[in-house]
Amino acid sequence: MRALEKFWHALDERFDLAPLVEFATHKEVPRHRHSWAYYFGGLTLFFFLVQITTGILLLLYYRPTSEAAFESVQFIVTRVPFGWLVRSVHSWSANLMILSAFAHMFSVYFMGSYAKPRELTWWSGFALLALAMGFGFSGYLLPWNELAFFATRIGTDMMSKVPFAGAWLLKFLRGGEEVTGATLTRFFGFHVAVLPMITAALLSLHLALIQRQGMHVPESLEKEAKARKPIRFVPNFMLREGAVWLLGLAALAALAAFFPWELGIKADPFASAPAGIHPEWYFLFMFETLKLIPAHVLGIEGELLGLGVFGLGGLVWFLVPVLDRGSRTGHRTRAFLVLGWFLLAYIVSFTLASLAGVFK
Amino acid sequence: MPAAHEGRVISRRGALNWLLGTSLGATLAAALYPVFRFVIPPEVAEAPVNRVLAGKLSELPTNSGKIFRFGSKPGILIRTVTGDVRAFSAVCTHLACTVQYRPDFQHIWCACHNGHYDLQGKNIAGPPPRPLDAYKVDIAGDEVYVTKRT
Amino acid sequence: MTDRILTATVVLSLAAVAAFAAPPTSAVGTPGKHAEDSCVGCHSKLEDSRLRAPAEAANSDVHHTQGVSCAGCHSGDPTSDDPAVAMDPKRGFVAKFTHKAIPEMCGSCHSNAAFMLRYSPNIPTDQLAQYRTSKHGQALATGDTNVAVCTSCHGAHGILPPADARSPVYPTRIVETCGHCHGNAALMSRYGIKGNEISEYKRSVHYAALVTKNDLSAPTCKSCHGAHGAMPPGISSVSNVCGTCHLSQRERFDQSPHKDAFAALQQPACESCHSNHAILHPQDSWIGMDDKQVCGSCHSTGDAGATAAARIASALGKASSADVTTLARVQRVERAGMLMDEASVKLEEAHQAFVMAQLEIHTTSVGRVEAQTKTVLGALAAADKLAAASETEIRYRRSGLFISLAVIALAMVLLILKIRAMER
Repeated sequence: MRALEKFWHALDERFDLAPLVEFATHKEVPRHRHSWAYYFGGLTLFFFLVQITTGILLLLYYRPTSEAAFESVQFIVTRVPFGWLVRSVHSWSANLMILSAFAHMFSVYFMGSYAKPRELTWWSGFALLALAMGFGFSGYLLPWNELAFFATRIGTDMMSKVPFAGAWLLKFLRGGEEVTGATLTRFFGFHVAVLPMITAALLSLHLALIQRQGMHVPESLEKEAKARKPIRFVPNFMLREGAVWLLGLAALAALAAFFPWELGIKADPFASAPAGIHPEWYFLFMFETLKLIPAHVLGIEGELLGLGVFGLGGLVWFLVPVLDRGSRTGHRTRAFLVLGWFLLAYIVSFTLASLAGVFK
Repeated sequence: MPAAHEGRVISRRGALNWLLGTSLGATLAAALYPVFRFVIPPEVAEAPVNRVLAGKLSELPTNSGKIFRFGSKPGILIRTVTGDVRAFSAVCTHLACTVQYRPDFQHIWCACHNGHYDLQGKNIAGPPPRPLDAYKVDIAGDEVYVTKRT
Repeated sequence: MTDRILTATVVLSLAAVAAFAAPPTSAVGTPGKHAEDSCVGCHSKLEDSRLRAPAEAANSDVHHTQGVSCAGCHSGDPTSDDPAVAMDPKRGFVAKFTHKAIPEMCGSCHSNAAFMLRYSPNIPTDQLAQYRTSKHGQALATGDTNVAVCTSCHGAHGILPPADARSPVYPTRIVETCGHCHGNAALMSRYGIKGNEISEYKRSVHYAALVTKNDLSAPTCKSCHGAHGAMPPGISSVSNVCGTCHLSQRERFDQSPHKDAFAALQQPACESCHSNHAILHPQDSWIGMDDKQVCGSCHSTGDAGATAAARIASALGKASSADVTTLARVQRVERAGMLMDEASVKLEEAHQAFVMAQLEIHTTSVGRVEAQTKTVLGALAAADKLAAASETEIRYRRSGLFISLAVIALAMVLLILKIRAMER
């Protein structure tokens, strides 16, 4: 114990860490009937950490070429001890991370936590979700199986509809005109170098801002929060968060046990697309919507229109802290609350309907 | 008896702490054990993508052949009368039976429908419509490596 | 000098009397060198396309490129620029050959081994002899001018070597070439031929191999009927013809009681079950006594053959259905991410034995077929066992994860208790 104390003193002496500890011990998390919403951010972080760990492990054996990618993943799941587990956990954790990030985003939205002075936190969070989806999109292709190959072909093809930059974007993403081994190499680069670097920077910012500003309490719950004793961050909230993380770990173990992630069939670029090609579930609502829009609406190409609407919707969602003028003074505009519910209902219903096969 | 009560609480707390520590340790072990196992590669250290160790030169006398495996697909390694080592896919191009080397014919033969292939893998008699796919052979000391041409 | 004159006189008189016993020396240039003569020069400038066409075709003609000019066949004097001299019938010129004259004219060179050797050392020189024995040649001898002669298949001007893919007798084109006449049912009815042979052949595995796999060794019309000596193979020779490629089947058929029985019944061997032109991909389901099955045409229900057929069909049926289920199981386990290389080896073994079982059908021996299907079932059982072991492994992993799940749940409960205790 003494050695530990000595070590701490040596560090404190050099880096003046006492104020940080002071800050941490005084940090509190408000307690009210919607306090549960405060755990989603941490849970997302947990899944992200699992992704980093399992991702690095997979890197030990994975090979990013069209000749060897499928075989190397097959090698991992069939021959490497516990490779099946690491791969299954990586896949499941990716999905749970996105799910948890969505839950985090909507809970923040409905509590109006995006309002001034937390605009930057909202924006960095928005970018982090986009990055997470980028992780998902690029990682989906890496096992180089049939389903992933054709889903990537469709996904990148949609990018080509973007006005002006479409053709460039397509070539940039695919590394050529078609989805080939060059695309795989690129996606691998995005997945393990570009995206993690940007994510690390943005995540640090996001977390630093939260620590600096503390938790937001919505106006409707202010009274309740004042009346109840807040939770101390260290150790109470941390232990609670720990329990949530254990729940996340349990979920991963259960999913890996019951639904081990399949290997699929090796992609053959010259084979015709099999039936039932679909992207990862978090792209389904966009995927199905774009399919529903007729080929031409008022002389505009349907897909272009759809992408335009999604782009506009994304922009509005991004700019909510600015557009919702009332929120700055603590009085949120009703219209934005309705917008939030509408969006949630739309995404949930389209995703579930698609999974249930309604659009087939 | 407040003191005794307190003592009970403390011991209960101690037990809880011990149990909690143990179970958290077990959880950590459960998570780390697969990781430690994972980082040590299996015996076959890489995926057999396009190169395999097909056999030993010393175990392959002239005028003989040997079946090896390219993943789950058979390949045939032959040593001609003159001592050349060649390798082909052993999947007959007619109905996908596994071909063999016939020392009496001094060429490759398929038992199913009497298909014959010469020492270059070319179909020379019987029903096979195409030659056998040829592989590249590399000899390192006594070891014969076979590579798929891509 | 006198020798020369004598030779020339002999040559000229032979040319005049026996028409085309040897090519005029003036018409035959150096082998391998493109022929030069006045015929092409004039004819290629003519207005009438019928007269121009032969000159235009001559450039690619194998004879012309090898130094044999127009006069090689048509005679006349190719050195003269005067049409009246060049195409003087007195100089042996023949404008248009009669149908009957063509084989003899071509044969004048092609039957001459010493002459052909100068151009192509390995070319056969028995075409005319074979032709005379063919149905075509026999009919021609009786004065029938509808039958095929050399030019019917090889073309007249612009003749290409058979190995040239543009030649009408190239493997991929020969079917259409024969079909010119043999696809004409009205014409064929005069000879008692159905005329559907070409369309039947196009349904066959042989034609499929030829056009879809571009397998040039796949049999075409001439592979069974011969080319120059074209004839229907007699009943006794059918199995010989098929057996030139299908050695293993023939060997087994010859061991079977069918060999003598078919001979006694004057039945063709292979053809009785496999048909002749429309040789379809054989199906195991053909074995049996039903209308669409093949055994019933000779055997009657209850006899030894019918019983054997039923047993063979049942052995094959069992093996193939076991193959389907095992393959599905192995593939399912493989998709789930298990290593199935060993099982794939067993599946291959099963496949090979199954092919052998189908081959043994030709022996009609129940025992020999069953010996192979037994191997099939053994290999499949081994593959199935491996798949089952992998399924057990998946379940085992699941139970391992359940244990860790229990540990995690315990830690979680204890943590919640700890928090409660702390906050009380």
